[in-house]
Amino acid sequence: MVFKAETAGSDDLKAIISAVSTLVDEATFVASAEGITFRGMDPSHVALIDISWPNSAFEKYECDGDIRFGVKIDELGRLIKRVGKKDKIEIGISDDNKLLVTISGTKKYKIRMIESSSSETPLPKVTYDAKMVMDLQNFDRILGDIDVVSEYLTVTTKGSKSVFSGKGDSGEVSLDVKGGDEGVREITASAESTATYSLEYLNPITKAIGSAAEDITCEYSESKPLRLEFKVSNIGRIHFYLAPRVDS
Amino acid sequence: MCTTDPVHQDSRRIREVLLAAWNKHLAEAGAMTSPDELSGSSPPSVFVGAYGYPRVGIGPLVPATHGDTSILDAPERWNTETLSEIIRYRLDLVRGIKHVRADEPDGRYVESLQEMAMSVRPIDSELLFERGITRSYEQDDHATPFGSVGQIKSTSFSNAPSHPALERAYGDDDMDARQAVLSLYRAGVDVTRIQKCLSVGMFGIKRRLVPTKWSITAVDSIISRQLALDIMDTPEIDSWRVFESERLGNAYSVILYPHTWRYEMVEAWHTDGGATGFGSDSETHSGMNHTPAIAGAYFAARLGVSEYLARSKVCAGALVLREIRPEYSVPVGVWQVRQGVRDAMRGPFKTVDGIAEALSVASAHTSTSAQEWLSYSGTAHALKQKSLTEFA
Repeated sequence: MVFKAETAGSDDLKAIISAVSTLVDEATFVASAEGITFRGMDPSHVALIDISWPNSAFEKYECDGDIRFGVKIDELGRLIKRVGKKDKIEIGISDDNKLLVTISGTKKYKIRMIESSSSETPLPKVTYDAKMVMDLQNFDRILGDIDVVSEYLTVTTKGSKSVFSGKGDSGEVSLDVKGGDEGVREITASAESTATYSLEYLNPITKAIGSAAEDITCEYSESKPLRLEFKVSNIGRIHFYLAPRVDS
Repeated sequence: MCTTDPVHQDSRRIREVLLAAWNKHLAEAGAMTSPDELSGSSPPSVFVGAYGYPRVGIGPLVPATHGDTSILDAPERWNTETLSEIIRYRLDLVRGIKHVRADEPDGRYVESLQEMAMSVRPIDSELLFERGITRSYEQDDHATPFGSVGQIKSTSFSNAPSHPALERAYGDDDMDARQAVLSLYRAGVDVTRIQKCLSVGMFGIKRRLVPTKWSITAVDSIISRQLALDIMDTPEIDSWRVFESERLGNAYSVILYPHTWRYEMVEAWHTDGGATGFGSDSETHSGMNHTPAIAGAYFAARLGVSEYLARSKVCAGALVLREIRPEYSVPVGVWQVRQGVRDAMRGPFKTVDGIAEALSVASAHTSTSAQEWLSYSGTAHALKQKSLTEFA
């Protein structure tokens, strides 16, 4: 079986590993002819990451079958963190069944693999009524503004306007955003929708993606899960699903 | 509530009756032995004190009678006994003490206690004391109580065959204590027996004596954590269920609900004076990372709940409610919580529709109201966070 994937730099892989590490300690990636995918939920089943990293996103990509490889995400993360921005990273599987990570063709790491999970994680079935597209930086700033007083973010979208709000022991905050505002590409809602999500999950994933994505697309429905989409280098795609908090 | 409440008068009366029985009993026991020697069959039972750690008082528990005394230290078999009967059993036992460093669990004396701890039957014991026996009744929230205490001058114990699984773990220097505890539990050894063996330094690579009350909590904690990990990937139960039991003036309700592993225990205690106190603690999938506010009861109940889930191969969230009534006038040890919750989980359950109905079922037999349980529990708040599984 042949498997070799080479990236042009290290930013995308850093962002992907960092995103995955916000939810799980161990990750099973699947490589096929089409590219590399990952899907996993956090242990409390509140959030899910679904990653699709197509072969076209790599400088070189070769894979002639379906390969699952499991890693301890912090073990892989520790070495990827050391790689320079422009360094090429090549990933493969060694003859003695270890993950082979070659940096700039000269530095070769062999990382132990763990038993890969075979469980299928279904995606939540939601029809999304509200959609926002904005700069990731802008979104990150909104989260920070809410975080000052609250652990949870409540969002209400009607027409082309969203109101983000939060409430905590220290006080409350409300923040209006319209489609067309600076850094806001689009806001639409086919039905007025309100939902509340935990910042404990939203903050780490947004920070993890960092500058690897420019835009974020948020979709949700009334008291239903939220889906965030990050485009990494406009080719790789990270979907982050988050279950709502519901008062009742 | 006021102090003329018949329940509280009952509680005081029960305690007085117990006190009288205990004094009479100790007087009889005293008459049976001379104050500086004791001859009897240990159930077998050993005890390691916590006072003065790491230099601890360690020794056998021995009654003044010979024969099959095993019932005197068999919490797993105490199913029909009343509180006063259990206290009678325990008051029969004299605790011999010799001081030993916890990190040096060797020498003939410690070895003889280790052999006693793994014996399949009671051990005939002769104890000579330095200065006679002090008639004390020490109370400890975790360990089972016992009658009097004597500083050991010399001992002599009969031989008996060892429990094979215990002997194997004892002989294995490469197996860490945690693995030893788990393998013995899986081999069907009683939890209270594993606790005794761990306390006298019988397991692990680097062996040490562990005060009995720590050992009890350690064993409950190790086993229940592993069982909780084992069920994390199993399917969630499909309904809300309420299990109930009552034992020795303690009422237990265990509420299970469809969720990933989440565990909370809330205790309400009602004193003679009519006051009510509450305590609670909880954990999620990552387990408990501090000493629980309600101490060893937390882990003892967690064991009862996780055993049920592991046996049924299902995952659930659990809320354990324990009401400690005035009738429970003398605490007899954490085993009572473990067995009480096991009783509940062995019984039939009521299927309910959500936390409100679960608490209303659970509070039907407690003087604590559903509203009070709710206000001391974090479960309802935590359940506001939905899981993605609910939308799959």
